[in-house]
Amino acid sequence: MAVIEIRDLTYSYPLTEQPALKHLNLQVEKGEFVAIVGPNGAGKSTLCYTIAGFVPHFFRGELQGTVRVAGKDTQESSLNQWVLNVGLVFQNPFNQISGAKVTVYEELAFGLENLGVPREEMVPRLEEVMQLTDIEDLADRSPYALSGGQQQRVALASILVMQPQVLVLDEPTSQLDPIGTREVFQVIKNMSASGMTVVMAEHKVEWVAAFADRVVALSEGETLLMGTPGEVLTDPELPKHGVNVSRYTRVARAATAQGLWPQERPLPVTLDEALEGFSRESA
Amino acid sequence: MSDQLSYYIDRPSPVHRLNPLTKLTAAFMLIVLAFFGPGYWLPSLLFAVVLVPLSFWAKVGTEFLRMVVRFLLPVIGFMFVMQMFFYPGGETPIFQLWFLTATMEGVRFAYQLVTRILILISAFILVFLTTQPTTMMSDLAQRGLPGALPFVITSTLQILPQMRQKANTIIDAQRSRGLETEGGVRQRVGALLPLVGPLVFGSIVDVEERTIAIEARAFTSPNKKTSLYEIRDPRYESIARWLMLAIMIVTVGSRIWRL
Repeated sequence: MAVIEIRDLTYSYPLTEQPALKHLNLQVEKGEFVAIVGPNGAGKSTLCYTIAGFVPHFFRGELQGTVRVAGKDTQESSLNQWVLNVGLVFQNPFNQISGAKVTVYEELAFGLENLGVPREEMVPRLEEVMQLTDIEDLADRSPYALSGGQQQRVALASILVMQPQVLVLDEPTSQLDPIGTREVFQVIKNMSASGMTVVMAEHKVEWVAAFADRVVALSEGETLLMGTPGEVLTDPELPKHGVNVSRYTRVARAATAQGLWPQERPLPVTLDEALEGFSRESA
Repeated sequence: MSDQLSYYIDRPSPVHRLNPLTKLTAAFMLIVLAFFGPGYWLPSLLFAVVLVPLSFWAKVGTEFLRMVVRFLLPVIGFMFVMQMFFYPGGETPIFQLWFLTATMEGVRFAYQLVTRILILISAFILVFLTTQPTTMMSDLAQRGLPGALPFVITSTLQILPQMRQKANTIIDAQRSRGLETEGGVRQRVGALLPLVGPLVFGSIVDVEERTIAIEARAFTSPNKKTSLYEIRDPRYESIARWLMLAIMIVTVGSRIWRL
């Protein structure tokens, strides 16, 4: 059963002529991990906001087509009901801290307090989510006195604790250093492995290839390609549209021209795939 | 650099343990008494007999007095100078300065005004020194204060130091590009513009993201909010609050009656 169903979605922000998304179709199954790639301005964030309900409820503008998540139509729901089903984490970790709380522990409880979850129920949920995101040792720290990667895991935890059905991530690591990136991706991977439906916009294609079940490439608000990471991320069309291509793919493509990469073998996206291909050739 | 901009000092004292609303009510009562209560000396008395001992009982006496002086000194100076020379009903001259005459009535009036302001400011200083702002706000939120208001207050308190940090970054960035930020008044004012621009516009852009983040945490949920921590509110405090409210009503009422 598809958790997310988007049919013929066209959306324009207020006061704009060009739609940000054009005739988009996307279905995401329960437990699936779908990554969205594309250059800046391709509509990745808009798509994330749409699934998370902020388009059209927060940004207004004109939405055509249907967007259904967990069986509900976005046009017929309100945002404060929508966020119960869909959790959103975005780029800037700093701006995702509520500012209303003094410690990380209290910060995590902010969403539960708003939902009116009784206190007895809060504590086990907080413990669980802190373990899941590996932030137990940060509980008593100020959420502002953390590194970017820690802050982003707190942001992630404070959404996860609300137990959404779908997790939407809009370039969650774009402002993090490599260590922070790895920490955050590890949590996302665990979430996905535990059966959470995840939609993630991301530039770092090597990570995308390692995690995603399916990749959607967007360009100028339209679907360019859709398929497995191996198919989409090695497609020769991608660089023409300004989509990031993995360095391993570029090297292997160059190597193919020189006869150094096996002809029948698909191009690699990750280091492991590249190593395997090259060692096979030299053997 | 401090983590947050709050005046709260964490010390174990009976005053700290009071419910935030009780402390707020007490502050309001003192203010009502100072402004509407009988007697010229009442505000001074309230300060000396109630607020100062209370601040020492709360183990923040030194900090309290220091802050009161810091906040009030400029106000006092300004008030006395203005009222001394310009009080309209001034008849008894004390001394002459150029073409201005200082009057006794002016000094008397200034003193009353200043002591009232003293109560107004110092009562709140004591509340904020002994109350964690987030605790106060979640207490007020639980009592049904409209959702956004407590949030706006606490998050502002928390975000200000972050803004200051951001301002410092911008100053450093502009300096490294040759902006002169030191020197005379004119130079300093001139340096303000390249600082304020990025700071204000950057913050406005941040507001959108912040709104989304808060919204994603079900901030506008119609459910009744709960609180992670239980905030102490024993029976006798609630009785005390009603008593203080009664005192306030009587004070204001007797004032209206007489007029």
